[in-house]
Amino acid sequence: MKKTHKRAVPWLMASIIVVFGLLAASCASDGDADAALIEARGAQASAEAAAAAAAAADTRAVAADSRAAAAEAAAEEAESAAKLAQATAQEAVAAAAGNVDEIAAAQQAVRDAEEALADASRRATAAEDQAAAAQAAAAEAQAALEEVLASQAAAPPPAAPEPADTGMAMNTDEIVIAITTEPNTLDAQKVVDRASRVFTGNVFESLLVRDKDAKLTAGLATDWGNVDETTWEFTLRDGVTFHDGSPFNAASAAYSINRIIGEDFETQRGSYVNNIVGAEPAGDNKINVTTDGPNAILLLQVAQIPMVPDGAGDEIGESPVGTGPYRFVAWERGQSISAEINPDYWGDAPSIASLVLRVIPDAQTALAALQSGEVNLVLDILPEQVPLAPKAVSVAATEYSYIAFNTYKEVLSLPEVRIAMNMAIDKELIAETIYEGYARPNQAQHLSPGSLGFNPDIEAFPYDPEGAKELLVAAGYPEGFTVTLNIPIGRYPRAEEAGRIIAQQLRDIGLDVDFRLWEWNEYRSAGRIPGTEEGALDLKFGWNSNEWFDGARTRSHVTCGASSSKICDEYVTEQFEIGGTNVDQEVRAEAYRNAWARLHENPHAIYLLQQDLIYGMSSNLEWEPRLDDEYYVSEMSYS
Amino acid sequence: MSSTDNKESVLPARRRARAGEGIGVLLLRRLRDGIITLLLVVAVIFVLAHVVGDPALVFSPVDASDEEVERIARAFGLDRPFWERFGSYFADIFTGDFGESWWQNRPALAAVAEALPNTIYLTLAGIAGAALTGIVGGVFAGSRPGSLFDRGSNFFSISALSVPNFWLGLLFIVIFSVQLGWFPTSGMFGVSSIVLPALTIAVVHGGRVFQLVRSATVEEMSKPYVRVARSKGFPHRMVLWRHVLRNTGLTTATIAGWEYVRLWGGAVFAIEWVFAWPGIGTLTINAAERQDFFVLQAAVIIAGVFVIVSNLVVDLLYRVIDNRIKSS
Repeated sequence: MKKTHKRAVPWLMASIIVVFGLLAASCASDGDADAALIEARGAQASAEAAAAAAAAADTRAVAADSRAAAAEAAAEEAESAAKLAQATAQEAVAAAAGNVDEIAAAQQAVRDAEEALADASRRATAAEDQAAAAQAAAAEAQAALEEVLASQAAAPPPAAPEPADTGMAMNTDEIVIAITTEPNTLDAQKVVDRASRVFTGNVFESLLVRDKDAKLTAGLATDWGNVDETTWEFTLRDGVTFHDGSPFNAASAAYSINRIIGEDFETQRGSYVNNIVGAEPAGDNKINVTTDGPNAILLLQVAQIPMVPDGAGDEIGESPVGTGPYRFVAWERGQSISAEINPDYWGDAPSIASLVLRVIPDAQTALAALQSGEVNLVLDILPEQVPLAPKAVSVAATEYSYIAFNTYKEVLSLPEVRIAMNMAIDKELIAETIYEGYARPNQAQHLSPGSLGFNPDIEAFPYDPEGAKELLVAAGYPEGFTVTLNIPIGRYPRAEEAGRIIAQQLRDIGLDVDFRLWEWNEYRSAGRIPGTEEGALDLKFGWNSNEWFDGARTRSHVTCGASSSKICDEYVTEQFEIGGTNVDQEVRAEAYRNAWARLHENPHAIYLLQQDLIYGMSSNLEWEPRLDDEYYVSEMSYS
Repeated sequence: MSSTDNKESVLPARRRARAGEGIGVLLLRRLRDGIITLLLVVAVIFVLAHVVGDPALVFSPVDASDEEVERIARAFGLDRPFWERFGSYFADIFTGDFGESWWQNRPALAAVAEALPNTIYLTLAGIAGAALTGIVGGVFAGSRPGSLFDRGSNFFSISALSVPNFWLGLLFIVIFSVQLGWFPTSGMFGVSSIVLPALTIAVVHGGRVFQLVRSATVEEMSKPYVRVARSKGFPHRMVLWRHVLRNTGLTTATIAGWEYVRLWGGAVFAIEWVFAWPGIGTLTINAAERQDFFVLQAAVIIAGVFVIVSNLVVDLLYRVIDNRIKSS
């Protein structure tokens, strides 16, 4: 649990004063005052009383904008001149009754005044331009303020008083979870993104489920095993009913699997249905699932196939029906989704009676909602938000950042060069500074302890720029070479900042690095260009999340010809073939360990960090974040 | 007024004919311009959406194979030639078919229609606040230039329109929701939810209304007729509210209308995003992120319609006020 702290009203007022102060200072310093003074003098020089009146108004406008004392003084002078002019005009009006000449003179004065006014309005336009400049300066002040705020956040004042009571009573019968984006649909078989899973994971269940250590265990199936290499038998749990009262049985289980593998079924869970041919009931509480060959990952696939009632159609996208501990209540588009406890749940009853998901797209607003007690859990907060959250917890996610090489590019073809580039990067530094400690160097593989195929003997490459330089010389590149580092913006947290450090550290070993930032969709297109073709990215920043906890998930990045791969190592591809088709899990694990050992000698990427997921929570909410990125409310409680 | 006649005689014949035309002709002309603008908007959106990024790629998983991407492209008809898609797209829009949202699995128009009233509600509340504070403040400040009120409010309004609106929104959330607990931070739950987003709009856009109304008032106050009226001994208040206000009315109405158009032009989008307001802005940004082309297109076209309609209303209002001034 991280430190709890909130800012108080006076603190904010001070901030406002700071921003206004900076604003005023920046306005005063950009020469407006001088300009105003010169303008005011010019107006006086004309010596026309009426013109002076106009100048007074003009100068005042500039003075007010620039807040400069000098301009104000000039304005005072001009104003007195204006009074004089008014008096003259009044005199003229008063005298007009008697003298025709004087009337003419007064009319002349009025015309002069009008001209002067037109002149003044032109200068007013100029003043407006100055105001625009002041606005730009204000933007700078704003940036400065943010820095100030950030440093305040990092080092809260010891005397900060307790935050005001928000007046919103904490309801312990209910948990409100902030999600950044609304699910496409509530049909669990169609979606798998995090925002969707927060809901579907509590309402739907699968035959298998991961325990707290991410090991597969019994869900709606109580027993399972191979009948032969391509047939798996699952024994279903008795006495389970769907929220609509229909029974969970062999018919609905087989239907669920056949539905999701259907040819025309659009689903984000596509990777979980490959190689499954079909399912059929084998008795009342057993089903057989057949695959189109030995399928090593069938069990983890099945764990990602939610069970739906027999015959369910598109309507469950609007009004979902599952077997989970919570059942659907309402979906207010763009706003919230709610669920309540399922009284007929087969397992232990959860302690929190209802669940509400609120859509809050902006991360800062979500944090504010957490601080005010409107929401109880915010997924994925940023490291700098941690001090502001009532409570924060984190978990080492199965997410690995890396920079993939295009090994087909000549200068990157030698393993020594790629090892040298791995040694050039200070991963600890990036973890500690850019990610503020919420990350750690990954052990040179897209796997971590607990995942199938993790190789504990591989260590992260040491940070050794001198050694890296020597390797480059040995490889025949004493002068280095030119290479482009490609980073997508707005996709991965702080990729740009991390990328800049990496670019610099590669330059430090003598490489000439082009740093290129990409819009995400363009980046995706460019990233798919095969390594042998024109336009392929030399160095591509990526972020691999291994939610399978299995070496098989990394296949597309490292095997010959795979969609994200720009390396072709026959041995690695062979080992992944074994891992992907053998149903003996120990044989599989060995194959992946071998493959990653080889990928240490022949790196496909600069291995960077394993990232943390950080969650902001209400101070009285108790929850241990899960490794598998699931959010089961049945595991949450209030103290 | 002789000066007006002088001005008109300098205008080219075409403009002069326009200046004299009736309100019906003006309406028709504006409608024609509006429709042309709308057609351009529709075309630009389509081209942009199909040139920037590949929608099929966006919809497929990150490590999808090429076959998978192709299959998705086929499913959405993205494999057809550009001009064919463009033609059927235009035809569909004219029949009111804005396509099916990929993201929400329902007609794009339904998604937009659901968000539209929320944005109208917010923009109207916001612009009412902006007009009220801007006009009242601007007239008071402008009538006594250099006074403490003038200097104070001028400074405040410059500051307000110098900060980004989303940042001001966040500041209000932190002060009024987190610290004081007066209003909800975000969402649209009951009347209290609208206070902070509407206040943000009122402050930022009110700041601009204030600036322009103030300078219009200052200018008007220095005109000869005011001086004459004052020298005749009419009280300040009477001159201000009976003459000056009426003559600045044109400027004021135009500015308020303009600010409303600006809101629809995108200013309200960031505010909706920050306050998790389920309106067109949040919908548009989400649709853009997911490359949900049909929702994006429907939302932008509807927002475009609102900009055009608001402009039209401002024009007509301008004409009505102008006529009243002339006839009086």
